[in-house]
Amino acid sequence: MAPGLHEFLLRVKSLFRRRHMDREMAEELEFHQAMLRQRLLRQGIPAEEVDLATQRAFGDGARWHERLCELWQFRTLENVLRDVSFSARLLRKSPGFTAVALLTLALGVGANTAVFSLINGLLLRLLPVPHAEQLAVLRMEEGGPQPNYAFCTPFFRSLEARHDVFADVFAYNPDTLQVQGRSANENIHGMLVSGQFFRALQTAPLLGRYLTPDDDRRGGSPAGLAVVISEHFWESWFNRAPDVVGRKLVIANVPFTVVGVMPKRFIGADPTERPQIFAPLSADPIIDAPRNHINDGIHAWWLTVGARLQPGVTLAQANASLFTVSNPILHEASNDASFIVDEEKGHFHFAAEPGSRGFTYARLLFRRPLVAMFAMCGGILLLACLNLASLLMARGAARERELATRLAIGATRGRLVQQLLVESLLIAALGTGAGLTAAPLVSGALAALLMSGNSGVQLDTPLDLRVFGFAALIAVASALLIGLVPALQATAGNVNDHIKDGQHARQPYERRKILPRVLLASEVALALVLVVGAGLLATSLLRLYRSGVGFDPKGVVNIAFSMDKQQLEGDALMRLYQELGEGLSQQPGVKSVSFQFIVPLSHLHWTGQYSAPGGSPQRFNMNSVGPNYFATMRIPLDQGREFRWTDSKASGLKMILNQSAAKLLFPGEEALGQQVTNVGEKTSYEVVAVVGDTKYSDMRAPAPPAGYVPMMQDEQKKPSLHAVVRVDGPQGPLASAARSLAARLAPAIPAPTFTTMDEVLNNSMNAERMMALLAVFFAGCALLVTAIGLYGTLAYATARRTSEIGIRMALGAQRTRVMAMVFGENALVAAAGLGAGLVAALFASRALASFLYGTSPRDPWVLVGSVAALIVIASAASLLPALRAARIEPMAAIRYE
Amino acid sequence: MLREENAGELIQGTLEMLILKALARGRLHGYAVAEWIQQTSQQVLKVEEGALYPALHRLELRGLLQAEWGASENNRRAKFYQLTTEGRKRLNAESHRWARLSAAVAFVMQAS
Repeated sequence: MAPGLHEFLLRVKSLFRRRHMDREMAEELEFHQAMLRQRLLRQGIPAEEVDLATQRAFGDGARWHERLCELWQFRTLENVLRDVSFSARLLRKSPGFTAVALLTLALGVGANTAVFSLINGLLLRLLPVPHAEQLAVLRMEEGGPQPNYAFCTPFFRSLEARHDVFADVFAYNPDTLQVQGRSANENIHGMLVSGQFFRALQTAPLLGRYLTPDDDRRGGSPAGLAVVISEHFWESWFNRAPDVVGRKLVIANVPFTVVGVMPKRFIGADPTERPQIFAPLSADPIIDAPRNHINDGIHAWWLTVGARLQPGVTLAQANASLFTVSNPILHEASNDASFIVDEEKGHFHFAAEPGSRGFTYARLLFRRPLVAMFAMCGGILLLACLNLASLLMARGAARERELATRLAIGATRGRLVQQLLVESLLIAALGTGAGLTAAPLVSGALAALLMSGNSGVQLDTPLDLRVFGFAALIAVASALLIGLVPALQATAGNVNDHIKDGQHARQPYERRKILPRVLLASEVALALVLVVGAGLLATSLLRLYRSGVGFDPKGVVNIAFSMDKQQLEGDALMRLYQELGEGLSQQPGVKSVSFQFIVPLSHLHWTGQYSAPGGSPQRFNMNSVGPNYFATMRIPLDQGREFRWTDSKASGLKMILNQSAAKLLFPGEEALGQQVTNVGEKTSYEVVAVVGDTKYSDMRAPAPPAGYVPMMQDEQKKPSLHAVVRVDGPQGPLASAARSLAARLAPAIPAPTFTTMDEVLNNSMNAERMMALLAVFFAGCALLVTAIGLYGTLAYATARRTSEIGIRMALGAQRTRVMAMVFGENALVAAAGLGAGLVAALFASRALASFLYGTSPRDPWVLVGSVAALIVIASAASLLPALRAARIEPMAAIRYE
Repeated sequence: MLREENAGELIQGTLEMLILKALARGRLHGYAVAEWIQQTSQQVLKVEEGALYPALHRLELRGLLQAEWGASENNRRAKFYQLTTEGRKRLNAESHRWARLSAAVAFVMQAS
């Protein structure tokens, strides 16, 4: 052990055994005296003189004892402990200051830690698998602005067979599985995974085995179809039965054998997924029936592909190898010449990127909003620190006399700085502690807000080592920021002057002190930047809401029925839907009911290519809807009629176009009654109505052209549709009514799920909503903190000038003049801060431009409003001390001295 | 630091070296250390209690000595000191240094 460390540990130990050690030292010295006395007796000193002789020989025992005590003292640590208890006493004495300090700091640290743990969870954390650094994520470059991460089956199967640079190549697709429960099928969140998936992720199963390439074959391995379940599912579905391996699960009406259980920590390769069941990719035709992504070949882009590099192979080597195989694989995948030409035009090639953190689309969506939010949080923390620094500085000024006295009686400046620093460290530690306690709650709520509307998807925000490190870092940084400047400032200057002057009238008011004002002005500037940012984001969100969607979302409820695994199809299924609709319309408060295939703004797409007679083919969005749909959604029906239950397949194909689609297909013509042709299938549709435009999948984009076909003429055999119900009044009872209705009319299907259109709309603006919400909250806090800072410093400064103001008034100064003088102190600072802040805001808001909808980053109303808000806040904060100054009684103030 | 009949300037740390040497043969309490030094030096070096105990405690703090309580020869509780591995190493180094130093001084003094 290093001698320094040994000594440190012994000293620390001695701190806690102070009394014990004291006794031991005394005993040791006594023993020595006793021995000495014995020797003297032996040497023949008479008994009556021996005490005196011993003492003479031994010297001053008490002094030796003291010397030993000094030797063992832990000077630095004892000083620190003394400082801590002194600081704690001081903080307790001014509870107002302490509360403000702790709250602002807790807010800053809490917000930063919360957003950082989101960033950590989404962007930084490694997948919990061995040697995650060897993992890669594959993508396709097709000449578009963004790379494509969604693969089709043929590409993946070709890549999977190659092992030159990759040890394993795997693909997966998150899916909803219909598992047979006690009474009906239940929807369970799961994942289809390819044969090398588990081998690549190298996590041992808890029970049984994992899926292998043998399982990833049509019909499964010779032993039959297999699935692996999660520990969580093992618990909830099988009650942790030890004999679960070998049991059957009926998925999509087909029995699968459970061959293994994966431990809780295993989440696959997507950090936001928590699959309950892992099924082989080749079972897709069963599980997703009647769809078949595998047969769809190059028309189904449904797989996320990852890989584990061969040991010793670098990413660059892998990329070089992928580049050379790209073209052969492209030609292998399809003989569709136009597809190949298209892809070759875009210099199609595969590429690999680091995959140690897995892959999630959430990352592409939320990276920039999170970074923007992180910047905002940094701003609020800086603001909190500036505020505390200026408050501490003002307090330090009030304590000048105390500090000067201590300097005069021999304290070193370093010692005083240490004591003041300990005070700010104490504030920082308490504030950070409070912030850290709140952070997990906040980050959990934010993660839920961000991910809401994506069922089965979640974002973990654990307080891991990285988050703690980050929190510690900002705690120390803010403590230094808060404490160092005020401490140095307070202990500088001439001792003599301070003691003589104290806080009396003779002291010239220090106009030269520029630092506190700079701090306050930057606080105002920073607050303005935050308020402008919040104003812009909130305005943008409001405009987004107001921009309208083309239908009336208020009071509309979507009820999803999964019909793909039950027996009925075609017209019989339509009759079931009709019965369901009639049942729903009899529920209390229901005004009208219809059906739709795609819920607008739920990010699902269906496009078709159609042409007018003699016109060029046009691609636009499609939906399949029921009778009375446009009335239910309150989409204006400009011409023609709604679909009817009688529009069956036998009655001739019908279509309804929205205005944009009508204009696109029949520019300058009447669309109603015309025929349109499906370019691929050569089928012809009669246009029976033209309706208003609605937004389809993107809130921010203008309403695109769209066509509607009747659900009765849907190409799918067993379409799973959403009932759209317009309800007046509470929507709660409808959910249970829908469930019992479904259980009665279609007992085999999973319980229908229930979402309001308002939720759908909100979810499509998650990132915007969260940013605006946080920004407005932070702006509110920034205003409050700035007000406290302005008020606090001015109040301290004015209190110190009481006798000066008293003299001024005794000499005839008007009360209004005194008020103006005090008020003017802050007005100057605020004006400077506002000027600087405005310039900074103009630069900073440019970074927000890409988040804004229909709002310029220099929106004059927002800028004017923000400046006005700060002026109001600053005036209010400065008025109170000014009023108090004006109320000073000259006689009392002068006598006070 | 040391009281001696013809007190010469003793080099700093010499007392510590003497203490280490005293403890080289086994554990001793403070009184015994002082006595051993006094007797072995033919009563020339007399260790003052005010210096002895701070030196012992300093060595203990630095990890060169280890202390424990035990019964003395007259059955009283006493604090015994004993060399640690570190202490033994230090004693070795100090002895070499001292031998070289005293030889050098002797050479100088004998020069004619």
